[in-house]
Amino acid sequence: MKKQYAVSLLVTSLVVIALAAVAGSGRTDNDIPAPPTIGTVIDDFKLPDADGKEHSLKSLAGSKGVVIMFIATKCPVSNAYNDRMEKLAQDYKAKGINVVGINSNNTEPAGEVKSHAAEKGLTFTILKDDGNKIADRLGATRTPEAYVLDANMKLVYHGRIDNSQKTEGITSEDLREALNEMLAGKAVTKTGGAAFGCTIKRVS
Amino acid sequence: MRLLLSIVLAVAFGVIAAQSQSSQAPSSNTSQNGALAGVASDITVVDLDGLKKLLQRDPKEARPLLVNFWATWCDGCREEFPDLVKIDDDYRTKGLSFLSVTVDELEDKRLAVSFIQEMKAKMPVVLLNVADKEPAIHTIDMNWDGALPATFIFDRTGAVVYRHFGKIKPEELRAAIDKEVSRKQ
Repeated sequence: MKKQYAVSLLVTSLVVIALAAVAGSGRTDNDIPAPPTIGTVIDDFKLPDADGKEHSLKSLAGSKGVVIMFIATKCPVSNAYNDRMEKLAQDYKAKGINVVGINSNNTEPAGEVKSHAAEKGLTFTILKDDGNKIADRLGATRTPEAYVLDANMKLVYHGRIDNSQKTEGITSEDLREALNEMLAGKAVTKTGGAAFGCTIKRVS
Repeated sequence: MRLLLSIVLAVAFGVIAAQSQSSQAPSSNTSQNGALAGVASDITVVDLDGLKKLLQRDPKEARPLLVNFWATWCDGCREEFPDLVKIDDDYRTKGLSFLSVTVDELEDKRLAVSFIQEMKAKMPVVLLNVADKEPAIHTIDMNWDGALPATFIFDRTGAVVYRHFGKIKPEELRAAIDKEVSRKQ
């Protein structure tokens, strides 16, 4: 009996220690997994679009590659890029590169994603990443944020679209330059770029 | 068995005691500390060199520095701002320096000024005016890609010892500040 009591006390103590350690680890937004390094082959995944129809990334990719774009409905920075994203999708579709949008914000439901795309004239497929699983897998933190995969699903660029939220301030079109180099069969010179954007609103 | 049990319990209580101590918020004396500084009424515009100078730690003074990046267009930034004002009030006389940096466009400075006035912010606020944000973002922290809001603590030597992207968790930030201000030089 005494032994049983001691064992249960021991187990309880260990649980208390474990809970205290977890509480003290201070899980923060910074625990988002690091993004894959340039050159990593990205595993295929499936997500539903705003109508609930499921797509695999491979089924949406172009013959030469794909641009994954994390976007938002409410973020003013992402919205400042709507026209540029749509233009980019149009310009590169014929060249074999498709743009795929992903909305990972838990504050923006599929219905809102659909109406936002219609209102802003976004014609590329936008996937809804409930539970931000793909944002976690790719280490995405903000909107807008772009990932370029080549025909073999290898990551060749990860970062900003360009250097300026306002079109008149653009001096460096990093994403387009990466796409052009990839299409020309060259190695991408600048494989990423930082810019201010809205944090992806993850499930807590 | 009894010995093992005693050790486990001692460790358990030790962990709990340490946790409660580190997460304890300092006593609130907002009005007293707040009265020491006036309410910020304007925002200074700085370029990258200006920002770098502000981030340099003075070896004579050697206080840890809390830096928060925000913009008026950023919902999370606006939502967390009252907590940052409280933290500034609570730690101003406890050895913490605070720099608030808005990345609003220069033409939106007026919006930023009215926001900090509405918030009754007392910490210095600067507007980062640079054509390309990337060098500034990487000057602050190579682990940062520009997601806002972003909050950092620089220790007395100028090294980043805490970073948080997204809305702050006030208790977590206070615990990190406590650790830095109590650190012996």
